[in-house]
Amino acid sequence: MALVTTSAVVLQTYRYSETSKVVRLATRELGVQSAIAKGALRPKSRFGAGLELLSEGSAQLYFREARELHTLGAFDLANLRRDLAADVGRFAGATVLAEIMLKMAPPAPLPAAYDAFTAALDALAGASPDAIDAAGVRGIWLLLGVLGFEPSLGTCVRDGTAIDPDGTDPVSFSVAEGGVACPSCAPAPPLARLPRQAYRDLLALNDAAAGLPRLDAPHAAAHRRLVARFVRHHFGEAGPLSALDFWERRAWVSPPPSTPVPSAAS
Amino acid sequence: MSAIDDLVTELAQLPGIGRKTAQRLTFYLLKQPAETAGRLAEAIRQVRERVTSCSACGTLTDVDPCAICTDPRRDAALLCVVEEASDVAAIERAGRFRGRYHVLGGRLSPLEGVGPEALHVDHLLARVANGDGVREVIIATNPSMEGEVTATYLQQTLKPTGVRVTRIARGLPVGGDLEYADGVTIAQALLARRDMSEAD
Repeated sequence: MALVTTSAVVLQTYRYSETSKVVRLATRELGVQSAIAKGALRPKSRFGAGLELLSEGSAQLYFREARELHTLGAFDLANLRRDLAADVGRFAGATVLAEIMLKMAPPAPLPAAYDAFTAALDALAGASPDAIDAAGVRGIWLLLGVLGFEPSLGTCVRDGTAIDPDGTDPVSFSVAEGGVACPSCAPAPPLARLPRQAYRDLLALNDAAAGLPRLDAPHAAAHRRLVARFVRHHFGEAGPLSALDFWERRAWVSPPPSTPVPSAAS
Repeated sequence: MSAIDDLVTELAQLPGIGRKTAQRLTFYLLKQPAETAGRLAEAIRQVRERVTSCSACGTLTDVDPCAICTDPRRDAALLCVVEEASDVAAIERAGRFRGRYHVLGGRLSPLEGVGPEALHVDHLLARVANGDGVREVIIATNPSMEGEVTATYLQQTLKPTGVRVTRIARGLPVGGDLEYADGVTIAQALLARRDMSEAD
């Protein structure tokens, strides 16, 4: 049994016996791991407030290769991320990121995924109120990218033809094939059609170095639907994606009276 | 499977009871007079048959509406919102709150598939809006991440009603020790400090 100290974010917790918790952690050095935090529910627990959902800190894990449940020795809190709780939209986006890590990240070292995950949480916490949706969508796309599901946006997913971002015609997008298709490859009936501005926004959302596009409510909804369809198609077998459903339909907002709803990213 | 195994298996399903404890409880019951086991069985049967949710506040009760909702000495202007019925019992044990309650039946938890539609929020809004004389809603959800998000959601949902919305304080527990408190709790306690002249 090795004592490993690693940066970690709490993805999920549940009670285990009267005094302990089982925590699912996204760790930088070991991927997603489960650990028992003995005594975490006691009033004078050494874990304190550290084992809250989405809190980040330094975890000391008694790690055994052959086991699925390790022992959490300590969790030194670095960032509780309470700002996320002050806005349901930020929290909803953060839970989607956590759900993707829970369902798709391997129990093996993948520092890039951990870094993308924590950067997305930070971006959500710091986004201005009108950019929360865009920050969430970007965080999900970038996380999918480092998990091996980066969409092909610059070239046709079928024949590699470069797509001109400055063109004027809509761009076809295949959720199943994982990217855009050039006009000669896009069959009839057409795939999801992205108007050029939506395509350029999608390019920017998938580029961490680009400025965050300003999305009005209908287009933010269209981008949420597109990335949600992408996740469901590629990870539907991983079980229900309840946080994704919650975030996509903005379950915390009462529906406005009969507003027209644009189709996927159009 | 024998009757003993049946009981052990059933007891072992209860929270905090493993198979060994279930065996100990089973053999303890077998050593007691038959009436003792009969009273336990009857109490379990009665609690399942008679206890329901209060139609007004949602807490568990064997008379509907519950004794708190029908008590005229309770201040109907104060409504304390809690996650679970067990939280009502915890606050009642403190013996200081003289208002009424509203049990949500959980807290927002997207990862567990719990959205607003799964909580008794519409009923809360109806109680506030229906002229029950509610002047203040005290949100007493747990100080966890999900409890805080639920409080945020309730605050936003109640805002149009104009009712005063407050949140229970967070900080150091009575009898606690600063040395053992975590940094977040100490920071919250400092943020929520108050003038000592207000102290009771």
